Formats: sequence, C-alpha cells, structure tokens
Amino acid sequence: MQSQAKRELLALYEEPDQAADAVERLHSAGFDDNDIEILSSTPYPEGAFGEGHTKHRLFAFPFAGAACGMAVGIAWIVGAQVSLPIITGGKPIVAVPAIIQILYEGTLLGAVLFTVLGVLFESRLPDGVGLYDDRISEGYIGISVMARERRLPDAQIALEEASPIDLLSKEGSLMHAPGTT
Amino acid sequence: MIAPEAAGLKLSLRPPYRPQALNISLNHAGIALLAALGALGVVMYVVKLITAWGDRAEWAYPTVVLMFILSTATSAPLIAYASRMAKGYWALPLRRIAALYAAPSLLSFVLLIPIMASLPPLEGRSNLWFGFSAGAPFLTDALALSILLLTGMALLWFSAVPDLAGPPSRVRAMGRWQRLLYLNWTGTARQWKVLRAANLTLGAFYLMGYAFVHMLLTTDLGQSLLPGWRSGIFPVYNAVTGIQAGIALTLLTAAVMRRFSPEAGRFLGDEQASALGKILLAATLMWFYFFWSDFLLIWYARLPSEVAAMQVTVAITYILPFVVAAVLMLVLPLGLLIFNKVRQSLSLIAGVSSLIVVGLIFDRIRFYVAPMANPEPFGHAMHELPAPYWPNALDILFMIGFIGLMFAVFVYAASRIPVLNGWEMRQGSMLRKERTFMKTHVLVIGKPD
Repeated sequence: MQSQAKRELLALYEEPDQAADAVERLHSAGFDDNDIEILSSTPYPEGAFGEGHTKHRLFAFPFAGAACGMAVGIAWIVGAQVSLPIITGGKPIVAVPAIIQILYEGTLLGAVLFTVLGVLFESRLPDGVGLYDDRISEGYIGISVMARERRLPDAQIALEEASPIDLLSKEGSLMHAPGTT
Repeated sequence: MIAPEAAGLKLSLRPPYRPQALNISLNHAGIALLAALGALGVVMYVVKLITAWGDRAEWAYPTVVLMFILSTATSAPLIAYASRMAKGYWALPLRRIAALYAAPSLLSFVLLIPIMASLPPLEGRSNLWFGFSAGAPFLTDALALSILLLTGMALLWFSAVPDLAGPPSRVRAMGRWQRLLYLNWTGTARQWKVLRAANLTLGAFYLMGYAFVHMLLTTDLGQSLLPGWRSGIFPVYNAVTGIQAGIALTLLTAAVMRRFSPEAGRFLGDEQASALGKILLAATLMWFYFFWSDFLLIWYARLPSEVAAMQVTVAITYILPFVVAAVLMLVLPLGLLIFNKVRQSLSLIAGVSSLIVVGLIFDRIRFYVAPMANPEPFGHAMHELPAPYWPNALDILFMIGFIGLMFAVFVYAASRIPVLNGWEMRQGSMLRKERTFMKTHVLVIGKPD
C-alpha cells in the first residue's frame, strides 16, 4: 500500500522555456495534466507551458445563484401580492410586468453572491499545492508534480533534465542532498 | 501610432514589477485639503441627519450628490470591465484607477438611506412598483444599490489579491478567514484562470446592476415625484451620461496621478488619452442624442402634463442649470474633442474632463432638485410650475464637503491598494512588443485568451 501513496516534487525554473521543457518531459514520462501544477507570479497564457486545459466550475455558480435568487424573488413578490390581494387597474393579482424588476433584482443578487462564494470555493478547495517556495513570487516558475512513490525517480529525472535552479520535496531541497544530482 | 509609455513595455518579470500604493501624508497641501473637505462632508452629513431627517426638500441637494456619485465614481469601474472584455491593453494602467472608485461609491449607500426615508408613500403618485407594498421603494432600492456596491468591491478586491497577497509563506501563515479573503493565493494556473473568469463574470453583473440601479433611482427620486414627468428615455440618459462622466473622472484622475505619483505616472500618457478620448467623444454625442430623443417626443406630442415637466427641467424653472450643463457636457467638450490634438493629449483631455464632471453637477441639479423639493408629488399633472429651489449655504457646504469626501475616500483607498494592476501590467508587458516594420515602428500585440 505504501507504493500507492502520492508524493509531491516542486522544481523551480528561471526561464519559462525551461518550465515548458519540464512539462514536456513529464508528459513523455507518462505523467498526465492532473498530476502537474504550474505556479507563477504572472499569469501566462493558457497552454504556454504545454499544459492541458485547466478546469474550474466557477461558471456553474452564477447559474445556481440566479436560480435561487429568482426563486426567492418569486416567493417574495407572490407572497406579498397574495397576502394582500388588491386588484389594481383590473390587472391580475400577480402580473408579470409588475413583478419583473423584483425578479431581476433577486436573480442578480443570487448570481452575484454565488459568484463571490464560487471564487472563494474554487480558491479554497482543493487547498492549492502542498509544496511552495517564496522564490515563485520573485518571478521563478514552479512546476509541481504528484507522483506515486515508485514513479518518483521518473518525475525527478524529468524535472532535473530541464535544468531547475532547485528541486524540492517535503523533506527539503533535493539538489544539494547527498546521492542526488 | 500613439505609442504606449515605454515603461509599460519593459516591465520586469523576475523579480516581478510590484506597484506600490500611494504614499500620502497630511503634510502635502492637496491631501490636507482633501482631508479637510472630507471632514466637512462628514460633519454636514451628520448635521443633515440631525436637523432634516424626513424633510424631503432638505435632502434635495444631497440627492444631487447621490446621483453625482452614482454617475461618476460608480460608473468608473465599468472602464476596467469593458477594457478587459474587449482586451484593450491600452487600459492596463487605468484599470485599477477605475476599479478603485468602487470604494468611494460606498458613500452612495450612506446617502441613499436618509433620502429614501424622506420619500412620501407610493399611493397616489406614478411609480414603478404597481402597488407592491412589501418593501418598495426603500428596501428594493437599497438592495439594488447594495448588490451593485458589493459587486464593485468584489471586483476591486479579487483583482487586487495577487498584488496584495505577497509570497506564499505569508499567505500560509495567515489565519483561516484571512487566508480565505486572500483566496489562498499561491499563483497556480487554476487560480489565475478563476481570477480572470471572476473578473469577467462580476464585471458583467456590475454592468447589469449599474443599468438597473439607474432605472430604479432615476424613477423613484426623479420622475415619480414630479407629476406628469413620464419618460422611458430618462433612465438611459442618466446611465449614458454617467458613463460619460465616469470616463471623464478616470481621465482626470489619470492626469492627476501622472502629475503627483512618479511611479504611476511613468505608465500613464497619451495612449490612454487617445483610446479613451474616442469613447468620451462618442459618449458626449450620446448626451445630445438621448436629450433630443426625449425632448422631441414631448415637444411634438404637446401633452400639457409632460410639457410642464419639461418646462421645469429644461425650459423655465431650471433653465440656468440646464444651460450650464449643456455647455459643459456637450458644447465645449464636443467643440474640443473633435480635434485630435486634444483627444491625444492626457493633459488637454483632462481639462475637457473636468468641464464634464462639473457640468454633471448642474445636470443632476436640474433633474433632481425639483422632484425632491416638490410639495405636491401626488396626482398625474402639476397645476402650476414650482418655483426654483436654490441651495442655501448649508446645501452648498454639503455638496462641496461630500464630493470632497468622495475624493478623500478614493485617495485613502489608493494608499492601501496599489493604483496599478501589477499582474495585468506584467502580463501586458509580456504580450506587447514594439517592433520595426519597414521604416516605422509598430506595436505587436498577443491576445491569447
């Protein structure tokens, strides 16, 4: 069972080309995009490092929020109209033109609130990457890879072949540790 | 080609260029003046609350200030959204300046509460609410404005997180809630993507909220208090002239930043003036288009109740503010902005912008003072034209103080959050290069998203 556990390596590169090279070598070594994470202090265009399409679910949140908000809006206005049923100008008790702005307001409120929650949710879960290094915020590019214990040497070789300035595991730097290259 | 400022094309990625917040000090005469005006605004607001709660006419000029804030500070963040949506890299140094106006926009909510509390019952006067009694207009308008303000603040905060979070070790050391507030920022590809998506999604909601709030407030604080005034164009006129004034305010702020902030000033120049100047010219023409559409319809139909309302806001009662507004928002800007030389110079266009911002105050006076000061808001027509309600000394002090407070809050926000959007500017620098093309120079722009 020990060999099934995944461990993380983080390599730091000076140049974007080196980081792209590392991603390519990881792909060649059989690691897929779900195992690889790219960290940078500046947003690079998607796919610049050869990574796959990054998925997120943020766009689902406004739709869910809009539906909830509209439901609350309907409940608010229909409840108010039905609880005090006064016929105004011969129009129905619940007339669409008269309730449209409340529905719009409820829908927009729900969509905005859920979008904000969605951003927080998408940022919090999963909890980013385990390994990090402050040099990333100084402009170096980090390539993180999750590998099973038995595949760790393959990942290390792929990352090292792209000439990182440092290679980190949970235990610390592997570049200067005895027995590593 | 109006070349971008050279500094914007040469930003360092390692170490990354990090913009700083404004360094302000009360020893600076301008900052001290703003602080004094802000203090005056707070004092005048408290005085109004104590002496005029529930007195609608007393809140007429504060309503002008409310609609001024809504049409300047609240509309400015739209520039950040629109330029992101259209991938306008010229606006990179302007985006944070525009978004920072979300902070002083919060003052509009402070004004809205006592103003809404002074409104008469809906029954017996024209309104949007069709007898809906569960919270309209107080709760509905306050809720709509709060949605807009919340969206603006979320846009400002999310776009500022990469500039504020600092190194990952700092974020990891934060408490749970603070870390959540900083979006657990480590700079993963996924986080960058979510951030970009959030900016676009919330920007779209901001635009929707902006239009909606204008529809509600122009009706509840304007048309529904002046019997006979019925216009479907008026809310749109307010929203569009608000965009005109929001652009003007952003250009004016950019010129001030260039003059007083050496760091931000390196990136601000004629490229922004040229690009935004064209939109400002179009918005200036829209002033006339919407005014004329509204005016012509009523002039031709000759319905006495509508003509009376037009006589109040345009032709007789408030003709003076109308003429001043028309000159400052249309005649002079149009006459100046048609010249390339004016449009393509940040200093010159800032002068035109200041005319528009001042003109907007007079424009809002002609629209909102008469309804708020009208003692007879019920019925379908006015029996006689109301006398003009000119501001007294307290009203003038209130307007000067509260508008000063708006700028003071902006400057304070800019002293906490960098006035430049560092991560977007670094990305822009990466994707924009000046190249030689035959005998000239051209800008090569990459637009990957």
